[in-house]
Amino acid sequence: MTRQKYLFCYLMVAPAMLITAALGIYPMLFSLWMSFVEYDLLRINEFGTPFVGLDNYVEVFSDPRFVQTLFNTIIFTILAVAATLGFGLLLSQVLNINYRGRTALRMLVCVPWFVPPAVASAIWMWLLNTDRSPINFLLQDFGLITSNVRWLTDSATWGPFSIPMMSIVAVRVWNGLPFAVIFLLAALQSIPRSLYEAAEVDGASLMQKFWYVTLPMLRPVLAILITLLVIGGLGSFEINYIMTGGGPQNLTNIMAVYSYQQAFSFFRFDLASASSGVIFLMTGFISIFYLRSQLKGVA
Amino acid sequence: MTKRPTGPASSNRKVLARHTTTLALATALTTATALGAYAQDISFWTQPQGDLLAYQDLFDELTSEFRDESGINVSVEVINWSVAFNTWLTVAQGGAAPDCADMYWLHSFSGIGAGRFGPMPITEYRDRWPTLEADFYEGALEDVHRNGEFYGIPWRVDIRPMMYRTDFLAEAGIDAPPDNWKEIVEQGLALTERDANGNVTRWGFAPGANNNPGQTLMPYYWQAGGLMMSEDGRTATIDNEAMRTTLKFMQDLVQVHKITSPEVFEKSADPLADFTSGSVAIIGSTNNSWPSQFDRDYAELEGTWALEINPAGPTGERDSFSGAGYWGVLYGSSDVEACLDWIEFLSQPEHMERISEVSGAASPRRSVMSSALWTQRPWQEVMAETLNYGHTSQHPSAVWNAIASPEPGAVLYDLVYNTVIGGADIDAAVTEAQARMQAELDRASGN
Repeated sequence: MTRQKYLFCYLMVAPAMLITAALGIYPMLFSLWMSFVEYDLLRINEFGTPFVGLDNYVEVFSDPRFVQTLFNTIIFTILAVAATLGFGLLLSQVLNINYRGRTALRMLVCVPWFVPPAVASAIWMWLLNTDRSPINFLLQDFGLITSNVRWLTDSATWGPFSIPMMSIVAVRVWNGLPFAVIFLLAALQSIPRSLYEAAEVDGASLMQKFWYVTLPMLRPVLAILITLLVIGGLGSFEINYIMTGGGPQNLTNIMAVYSYQQAFSFFRFDLASASSGVIFLMTGFISIFYLRSQLKGVA
Repeated sequence: MTKRPTGPASSNRKVLARHTTTLALATALTTATALGAYAQDISFWTQPQGDLLAYQDLFDELTSEFRDESGINVSVEVINWSVAFNTWLTVAQGGAAPDCADMYWLHSFSGIGAGRFGPMPITEYRDRWPTLEADFYEGALEDVHRNGEFYGIPWRVDIRPMMYRTDFLAEAGIDAPPDNWKEIVEQGLALTERDANGNVTRWGFAPGANNNPGQTLMPYYWQAGGLMMSEDGRTATIDNEAMRTTLKFMQDLVQVHKITSPEVFEKSADPLADFTSGSVAIIGSTNNSWPSQFDRDYAELEGTWALEINPAGPTGERDSFSGAGYWGVLYGSSDVEACLDWIEFLSQPEHMERISEVSGAASPRRSVMSSALWTQRPWQEVMAETLNYGHTSQHPSAVWNAIASPEPGAVLYDLVYNTVIGGADIDAAVTEAQARMQAELDRASGN
């Protein structure tokens, strides 16, 4: 009976496993293989795909553009995750309170989620266009600026920060915030009221309740959310590619865009795969930590 | 009332009838299949130009006429431009391919296909078009030849004359658009306007109509007398005075005269919106689809814009950016002869005129450009005249499109962006670009 039960279970998950293997695992392994061979579209018919060991990784890490891109990716991910979490926590608290119009507000908060990143990018490109930006017009009307802010094209930098990078992060946060809010709102609603009542009896302030009750109770959900946001941030592509193409002067270039450029603009699938391999290593590292912590929790 | 016969005899008749029906059906099916095998079917892929539905309708009509004439059935698939590049890249690597198609970037896709996949030379059938040189513009014909082989018939040409706002020139008291580089600067200065805070409200000049630094550079470099590479595509030839002169001219437009926006090469730049909204007065090398688009979608701007042949560079040359799309056959084609019949049919003057009319694209066939279709409006005549100055934007190396890619990291992108926008030292940048370009050419030629 047990064997039949297992067989049934395997049969049930088999289609999903097959699809994952064909469309997820195989391309990933193939891409990893490409990162260890010469896979240059202009030479492949003549020279094939000889094994080159770590040469592709050495070549991408020797490229100053890639190093800057790697650094940009980390900065972009940290900023986007931190801002999404910060605003997400704030908004989810607001949406968790009972008041008139809460449902409408919840729907409004979710609206950016319904906008695909490509469409969001096109909308924000117009909103942030130097000469036609309504934001610039508004700021000028209020007398806050005299010359137009070059939201997507200003190449001035302050350490690792630049206006275009901050603009791209803002769009990413705008687009990804509803996901975090829904996650956190669901978690907030599962916290027993009795815990807050007990804290109130002990004389806890609003901040203390948040710090000692809400945050610890949100920890498991926060761990999942941070992991997903970080993985999404490291592999982010559309917004950066469509809005700036990595410019100006590579200031907003991130690794997924770099990979795309290597493959489809320069025909170097090997370097693109090596770059993707670095993303894979980074996300894999984060996933391992996450899985270990989850397993410890189970134990 | 007749009683139906029963018994063994009746049963045998039923069996016989059933067998006869089955045999008849099988024979009919076999015959139909055999006839189907004899019917010539070819597949043809094309990218849409102009209005998609009108373009599809036109090809429905053309395939129907061709079927009536030849008995060959052409199955047309319209490939969206957004996926066209990846589609042809896949085809060139051995992916699913049609029998014949409307293609572009011959050198790159042919180089990647390496004689096994992608565009197939049809030199032995060139006699089907005995007056090719006389019938077509030279610049367009260059785009269908590679290593001495002939690959197809050019059917549309991307030619880029100068476009300017007549209303702004009149306001500034300028009688005629710039005729040379010096006048570009003079008129650009007169046409650039700033508000009280010093913000530019109108740029006098934009060198190109897209944000691709490599494509923007090309016509000016040719006008200065430069060439990108040797005829065999093996030697880079950009480290010269022509390149330095060109880059200095473009750099000064942005950095010294400040008549060109420093954002022209950014992805967020929108030259069409800039021109229509009056944020730019002159575009040195315009998008060839704009004039017909203006006629169709910007009726309110009628009388405020015009085209002119590109201004002359320091050597007196007026080279204009040119690139042709062509109809060709692919390796693995199931019926090369049928494909050639189809291409020959399409390339007839009357059919090319219909295609040009619907697509709005300039035709590389001289008779089409001198027909009534292309002489109705002044801009059409300029477009036709500019074709005489067309310089192919394609170069004889498979790696050319990587060198001229609109992405940071490409040789020409970095050269132009870093000098013109970034203000980098031109000598050092040219020397570095020459070395990088040579390395790329070596990569493509197997060194």
